[in-house]
Amino acid sequence: MVMTEARFIEKQALPSWLASMRKHRRVLVPQRREGLTLFRPLDPGQDLDLDGLSSEPPKAALLPRDEALFAFRYRRNGDKPPRWGVELIETPPNEPTLVFGSRPCDACGFATTDRVYNAGTRRDTAYCARRDQTVVATLACSRPGPTCFCHRVGGGPDNEAGSDILVTEVAKGYLLEAVSSRGLDFMRESGLKDGAGLTAEAATVRRAARAAMPDGPSLLAAPEHVRAVFEDTAFWERTAAACLSCGACSYLCPTCYCFNITDEARGNEGLRLRSWDNCMSPQFTLEASGHNPRPGKAHRLRNRVSHKFAFYPSLHEGALACAGCGRCIVFCPASLDIREIVSQAMIQTANAEGEPRHD
Amino acid sequence: MTEPPKNIYLPALATIIEVIEETPAIKTFRVRLNDPGQMEAFRFEPGQVGQVSVFGVGESTFVINSPPTRLDYLQFSVMRAGELTSRLHKLKKGDQVGLRAPLGNAFPYQRMRGQNILFVGGGIGMAPLRTLLLFMLDNRADYGDITLLYGARGPADMAFSQELPEWLSRKDMTATLTVDAAGPDWPHKVGLIPNVLREMHPSPENCFAVTCGPPIMIKFTIQALLELGFTEDRIVTTLEKRMKCGVGICGRCNIGAHYVCQDGPVFTQAQLRELPGEL
Amino acid sequence: MPSRLEELKDGIRKALPDLDMVLAWGQGPDSLRRKPLFIVSQADIDKIVWDPCCSPNLAGYLTGLRGKKVGIVVKGCDCRSVVELIQEKLVDRAEVTIFGLHCEGTIDPAKVRATLPGDARGAFGDCRVSDGRIRFASDTSLQNLAASDAFYDKCLHCSDPNAGFCDYFIGERGTPPPVSTAPPDALERLEAMGLEERFRFWEQAMDRCVRCYACRNACPLCVCKDHCLAQSRDPHWVDQTDHPREKLMFQVIHALHTAGRCVECGECERACPMGLPVMALKRALNRQINELFDYRAGLDPEAIPPLFTFREEEDRIGEKKWS
Repeated sequence: MVMTEARFIEKQALPSWLASMRKHRRVLVPQRREGLTLFRPLDPGQDLDLDGLSSEPPKAALLPRDEALFAFRYRRNGDKPPRWGVELIETPPNEPTLVFGSRPCDACGFATTDRVYNAGTRRDTAYCARRDQTVVATLACSRPGPTCFCHRVGGGPDNEAGSDILVTEVAKGYLLEAVSSRGLDFMRESGLKDGAGLTAEAATVRRAARAAMPDGPSLLAAPEHVRAVFEDTAFWERTAAACLSCGACSYLCPTCYCFNITDEARGNEGLRLRSWDNCMSPQFTLEASGHNPRPGKAHRLRNRVSHKFAFYPSLHEGALACAGCGRCIVFCPASLDIREIVSQAMIQTANAEGEPRHD
Repeated sequence: MTEPPKNIYLPALATIIEVIEETPAIKTFRVRLNDPGQMEAFRFEPGQVGQVSVFGVGESTFVINSPPTRLDYLQFSVMRAGELTSRLHKLKKGDQVGLRAPLGNAFPYQRMRGQNILFVGGGIGMAPLRTLLLFMLDNRADYGDITLLYGARGPADMAFSQELPEWLSRKDMTATLTVDAAGPDWPHKVGLIPNVLREMHPSPENCFAVTCGPPIMIKFTIQALLELGFTEDRIVTTLEKRMKCGVGICGRCNIGAHYVCQDGPVFTQAQLRELPGEL
Repeated sequence: MPSRLEELKDGIRKALPDLDMVLAWGQGPDSLRRKPLFIVSQADIDKIVWDPCCSPNLAGYLTGLRGKKVGIVVKGCDCRSVVELIQEKLVDRAEVTIFGLHCEGTIDPAKVRATLPGDARGAFGDCRVSDGRIRFASDTSLQNLAASDAFYDKCLHCSDPNAGFCDYFIGERGTPPPVSTAPPDALERLEAMGLEERFRFWEQAMDRCVRCYACRNACPLCVCKDHCLAQSRDPHWVDQTDHPREKLMFQVIHALHTAGRCVECGECERACPMGLPVMALKRALNRQINELFDYRAGLDPEAIPPLFTFREEEDRIGEKKWS
């Protein structure tokens, strides 16, 4: 952790400082809108909400809900016989951004997508361009919400993964401490005063937050159990019985990152559009022949849970693709609870082997 | 393409130089990349695929079924099934498409050197086999006996009919054709591929089997191959999946932790057996 | 005298041997939520919960269980969904055993949490209606709210809280929830706006929509969910851009698809993670259907929804009298 420097801002000075940051960049903050807390561009007329977990993660800052990969245009290329040439036009993203008020679980989402979208030789250039121009200032949590379980999936209320700056609320305001060189550069140009004297208080606050996390067994050992239960169709039919196959869990999840690519044309012009998609949708794997490898909601739920707790970890040194934010539990209309699903898989396969597996 | 493109979703533009009607439902397209430098530099290995774009409609995955030893053009054979393939079928010589290639992995042609090769193709499944077959014929000395069993529902459903006479008459390979049902003028075999395969009783010794076709045909063919004594790491097939990004990011084409666009589409039966049952 | 819950459990216990499954409610992920319970064994019956938190409409699961003999526990609005499904032959009457209840109203967890803090752990304990208030009692706290501050808006305008068509009615029939003055609901608020303001309202609302289709998938009557026009390329009704126009277009089409069929059970709004008042559109169309055809959905299993049938002259339209 690069905590060589700290900056401080008083509570009452925060809104105007954030507004001043808008001069050179887009500022995304959690704001109240109709009973929800959503990440939106800073609007001084709206209430900033830094209390508790936002309804939506700031995922769209790096993975917008829609994005043109390129535009295309057909042009006539001669008349005998008439031929059409195609022109492709790229518009790479170019908007420096500050995300202020994300939570460690949200930033864990960014760390999850970094491993996929910026994987050495394979770089999603639009994602990487946005990532390079975005500073993520994450607010450490002081108390857990009712469905928070970040500490059971390798995270925690002050975890730094995916963030550039860790912000801690202290008595008089907010302490900012850099976690990456990008965060450090930003802090040096932020105009904020030095906060070195408050680092000890901030450390105490964070220690108390870690101690306040509710008891619960770790799910880090889940992968082998979730893999073991893959062929147990009865388990997945039972588990998915209430599932509606909607996308609420996926779209509100900080670590879900699947997308669709569709051409949206009007006449001779159009866009190749990338848009959010989710593996719970019946059409996700539907092939032109009519064959669907995941025809039922049990197959799809199995894939989603297995991806987060078995497949992704096997490709990324055990890192779970679940931040423990609990939004899927809060928003599922059928009250599916991924903690319960994974725990059941662990219990079921532990019984088969005759010894308990919880850490 | 020797240099990776900056935007991995941006296709290269290509022009159709020839369209061949194989069957009522299958057309073969031969394309050349518009940029001569790119076309000159294009390299790929047999079995790799490309995402072919019809702008305004979308992209679909097709195997490059011309061999890497014949780079005058890149060939794709398309069975009309959905929105994109239907639009593709309406295109003519001179029309433009987009291409993102090569993607995916290749047939294990190096491991196959010095071995006998048995190709078992069904319908449009002959397309990926064609690329490897021609590659091997162009490098004939590197391989042992080459045998082809190609089947389709009926004579009118056989792809590459212009080339079949040549394959049947070549001295450096043995070709057998079969259909499920045929009229009295059909001089070749009649029977389902797995049954004809058993009849042929090929020896698994020093032999690799490469098979592709409709899923049900692949399943029963692999069963027959195992019965005949072929080992699982010497049975090779190539899978179809709905693909979008083609580079292992969008999350769509996975079977377990394997992305068909990255770890496939070519798999051995040994690898398939390790994958979760979700084909 | 046994409680309503005990009577319900008893009824299910007796019926279960002849059924493949019974749908009821069980404890959910927190103290204010209940989830669908799929009862297949006598042991499952002990998990049944019945209180004002039992909001989910279980009727939507019936269409996926065709071919099985299924019991289902329903409130007033849920029962109208089942009747509608039977009318449209989406469910076989002979395969369904209906356990009906009187519903005192169902709480909206978001509304409750916006007003009450819960106890020290954020929990609310037991929930019941008494003396016109909605009461939450945990080991460490007692809180209560007026119905209009606790219940879903739809409950404040309940047409009939008693399951109207069932095989077994559990307990006594009763009256709608105790509401002194219901605040204007979403449809009333929209109709009080001018057109420009109304359009801006939907633009802002649809900005929050994430196209999860929870509203569509939760609707018991939505029959085309796996082949939805919102995901169709041919015809290309809606594109995939994240634009309020596309999202509102889907809502409008869904409202048209459910016009005269929607029983206003409120699942669409309950399921929406963004709290969008999407039922307002359906209610507006239902009102049109009622005015044109003197018809309300979900009341008579023998009836045919008016848009499913054709008459040369409609009583309230009087086509032959036009010239």
